[in-house]
Amino acid sequence: MVTRTTEHLLTARQMAQFAVDGYLEFGDVVPTDLNAAVHDDALRYPKDRGWDPNHRREFWEFSAAVREVFDLPSVQGIVQSLVGPAPRHDHSYLHKVRPGRDEAQVWHVDFALAADHPRTFDILVCYFPHDAPAEMGPTMILPGSHMRRVNYDDVTRYKNFVGQRQLTGPGGRIAFLHESMWHCAQPNRTERWRFMFKIRYGPEVPQQGHFDTEGWDADEIEAFFNAAEYRHPWGDSSKIAVEQWRSWWPYIAGAA
Amino acid sequence: MTRERQQILILHLAKPELSERTVAWALYDGSRSPGAQQMQAGDQAEPQYGSVLDAMRDGWRVIQLPTLPTLPSDAEPQPGPLVWEYVLERTAEMEDGDGDQDN
Repeated sequence: MVTRTTEHLLTARQMAQFAVDGYLEFGDVVPTDLNAAVHDDALRYPKDRGWDPNHRREFWEFSAAVREVFDLPSVQGIVQSLVGPAPRHDHSYLHKVRPGRDEAQVWHVDFALAADHPRTFDILVCYFPHDAPAEMGPTMILPGSHMRRVNYDDVTRYKNFVGQRQLTGPGGRIAFLHESMWHCAQPNRTERWRFMFKIRYGPEVPQQGHFDTEGWDADEIEAFFNAAEYRHPWGDSSKIAVEQWRSWWPYIAGAA
Repeated sequence: MTRERQQILILHLAKPELSERTVAWALYDGSRSPGAQQMQAGDQAEPQYGSVLDAMRDGWRVIQLPTLPTLPSDAEPQPGPLVWEYVLERTAEMEDGDGDQDN
């Protein structure tokens, strides 16, 4: 990853959406042939390779194509906007759901216990190299849940929420999640393997002013935050969340 | 031993009033056989009951109400788990094929 880029940065409107929803997704940043190359590598990769904490980048090292995806200026610009230049590649892993698996993963959160949550955060970049319709089991997320402070397994008892959303879409879809987003893999009712490559990036600098901050205090942004109280229908603490966003936003824009 | 088994329905509401809208829900069904699938994470887009009151009208009994929070004055409020959580129960006859082992 290059040290710093000034291109393909998130706009203030996109960054505000990330603050409120806890994620952004894109379907048009990875070329089709590169998606196909990563999918081919995923099919060749041993299906029985589980997570090994002593080998934290196995698929990354296995697949030159996936490294090329994350070297794309369009991807780097988004990553830098969220976690700053030259972030730490904490770990990465090729998540696999076998054909015919009819059980969902339980809801969980990877991490929400940072001392200054949600201001300091890693991101989870979820990349689906192939088409991922709902029946194939792409990840389910709960937009807005990143504002809540819970431990990894605290949310496993929950099953369904108004507003839960599955990351379905055509091949090449890539989503950038706040580390505290509640999420779970879904059943794969197709006859094909479902793959999702996920990198966790962590910041090496304070997360302030790394996106294109032009217009960060414009009326349009103010109106967006005003309307956000009602954006997540499951939220029982929306007024608290609004106060958090209002405190977080000048900070993340580099103005506080 | 009776063939009646407990079903637990957990409803989370937008506000504490029992007629408020359901925003999250989970069902744990003790009448289902061990191999039968329980409710899965993310498997329903809409709740069966729009409120706790709706579930009560259908025969569910409320067995736990959430305690109203006391907010400290010296700390910035921060949301955690969903707070307006109601636990309801009813009983249902065991599914066929599970055996009535104690008889």
